[in-house]
Amino acid sequence: MTKLRQALAIVDWSGWLGAAIVVAMVGAAVLAPWIAPFDPVAVNIEDRLTAPDAVHWLGTDQAGRDVFSRILFGARASLAVGIGAVLIGGLIGVSAGIFAAYKGGLAELAVMRVVDAVASIPLLVWAIAIVGVLGVGPVQVGPLSLPNEVKIVVLVGCLFSPVFARVTHAVARRVVSADFVKARWLQGAGHWAIVTGDVLPNCLSPIIVQATLLVAIGIVVEASVSFVGLGVQPPAASWGTMLSDARNAIYSGEWWLPVFPGLAISITVVGFNLLGDAVRDLFDPRSEARTLVA
Amino acid sequence: MVLVRAVAGRVLASLGTLLIVGLALFVLTRSGPSSPARIVLGVDATVEQIRDFERVNGLDRSLLAQYGDWLAQVARGEFGRSFVTGRDVAAEIVNALPVTLSIVLTAFAIAVVFGGALGTAAALRPGGVVDRLSRFGTVIGLSIPAFWLSILMIRVFAVDLRWLPPGGYAPLSAGLVTHLQFVAMPALSLAVYYVAVLARMTQASLQETLRSDHVRTARAMGLPRRKVVVYALVNALPPVVNLAALSFGYMFGWALIIEQVFNVPGLSRALLNAISQRDFLLLQGIVFLFTAVFILANLSADLVNRLLDPRQRTAA
Repeated sequence: MTKLRQALAIVDWSGWLGAAIVVAMVGAAVLAPWIAPFDPVAVNIEDRLTAPDAVHWLGTDQAGRDVFSRILFGARASLAVGIGAVLIGGLIGVSAGIFAAYKGGLAELAVMRVVDAVASIPLLVWAIAIVGVLGVGPVQVGPLSLPNEVKIVVLVGCLFSPVFARVTHAVARRVVSADFVKARWLQGAGHWAIVTGDVLPNCLSPIIVQATLLVAIGIVVEASVSFVGLGVQPPAASWGTMLSDARNAIYSGEWWLPVFPGLAISITVVGFNLLGDAVRDLFDPRSEARTLVA
Repeated sequence: MVLVRAVAGRVLASLGTLLIVGLALFVLTRSGPSSPARIVLGVDATVEQIRDFERVNGLDRSLLAQYGDWLAQVARGEFGRSFVTGRDVAAEIVNALPVTLSIVLTAFAIAVVFGGALGTAAALRPGGVVDRLSRFGTVIGLSIPAFWLSILMIRVFAVDLRWLPPGGYAPLSAGLVTHLQFVAMPALSLAVYYVAVLARMTQASLQETLRSDHVRTARAMGLPRRKVVVYALVNALPPVVNLAALSFGYMFGWALIIEQVFNVPGLSRALLNAISQRDFLLLQGIVFLFTAVFILANLSADLVNRLLDPRQRTAA
């Protein structure tokens, strides 16, 4: 416990700010149905385009819908896509990375070649093209009808997986050839025990760093794809579709329509970026140079 | 010799990747809910009409054979003729590409110049004003979505100040100043993220170099500070150039969204038209082009690293 406290002492105010933003946004997303003052999709023509006031804290849009409530519900779409994609990408990538490092030889070569191939797919263009081809309708999985965003979550997740695979592979390869793993072998530990008990825990810190930073990218991707009409479908609220709806307001002057959803995206992404930087400094202070780009 | 072989290997691997990823794309564009024949002939078409259409256009053959034909076409610089509009796909791409390219290249130049300068200035005085401002500014730059920045810029620079047009496009032939007036806002909003990315990388890499033993030795031996900094800059370059090349590939993707905001007649409009008209040949051509550019950017990032950093020359 004291060790943890000592470690946390090097986290500066920006790291705590990031953590606070992330916690607040996740809280807003989870609690949206209870804390939102209005129904996010309820049309109310009489109250359309009212400026922020005591009733509608962030104003209302063209259909009289409450902007604050829509932003709270929009947090659900954003975080679901960001976190969902990272979970999928992490699951695929970490498994592939560990498998490659543990097996070695031809299997390692083959897996890492596939990783290279997936890494050479431009994310945004493919997301737009694939949703464009498949259509924006819901996805039927057995009795479940999942919204269009599921396609984006799965696709972005797959395209995030090379990042996880590479970072896991790099660390796991060192761990696999370390003496303590050989010792575990000689003790008669099984493959599964070594992988989950020795290899995985040692790879965790870089994985967590990448995951935090990738959530930020996933959120912007969701907003962008929704902005061009291929993500979250109306009337459901998403920060990207809210900005798309707000485009006419640039000229007519309802400043609250383009400003608040954009602020919501930026603040959330700042949160994940600050948290990611802090986690990286905490786990791996020397790796400052490895910047993630998308 | 080793270098030549390593480079040749990387080039071949990239080409192979492009072919495989292209096949995936080919399969995907044909996995939509309805066949091109159904889209062109409409819902009333009989099964026979559709079979005829598919035979005439070679759509009844195996996917692999169709892909082979398509690749052979692409190698000759042809992307086929659209089933939907009857227009030549290559011609449509050639029309739209300069618009996108102009925006991306301008943005890339802004990103490299300002990112490099900011990162260098910040690294030379750790803890100084520039360093603190850049740490703060780059986090903001990384977090503002480019399309939101575009919307805000249109409001400020086009609607309120009336300095720049709110959207549209004028080619270079309309004069450099007019051209830049239209390109300025899209390019700037696209560049901000990459200014932040490159500034961070430049700062980190240069700071690490300045802390290294050989720089300390050079200083101890009395080499002037300016000379030391120049040497350090050269040594700090490889990761920055590598990231810049990668960024160039990513910028094309984000340009699609930016072009939408500014209503620019670039590849974004062509792609979204292709989607709404279910024009899969055009869609395939555009996405293939983007993928090729992206893979090329990755490849040049790798090759540049090898050239600048002798330690990586022989890495597989």
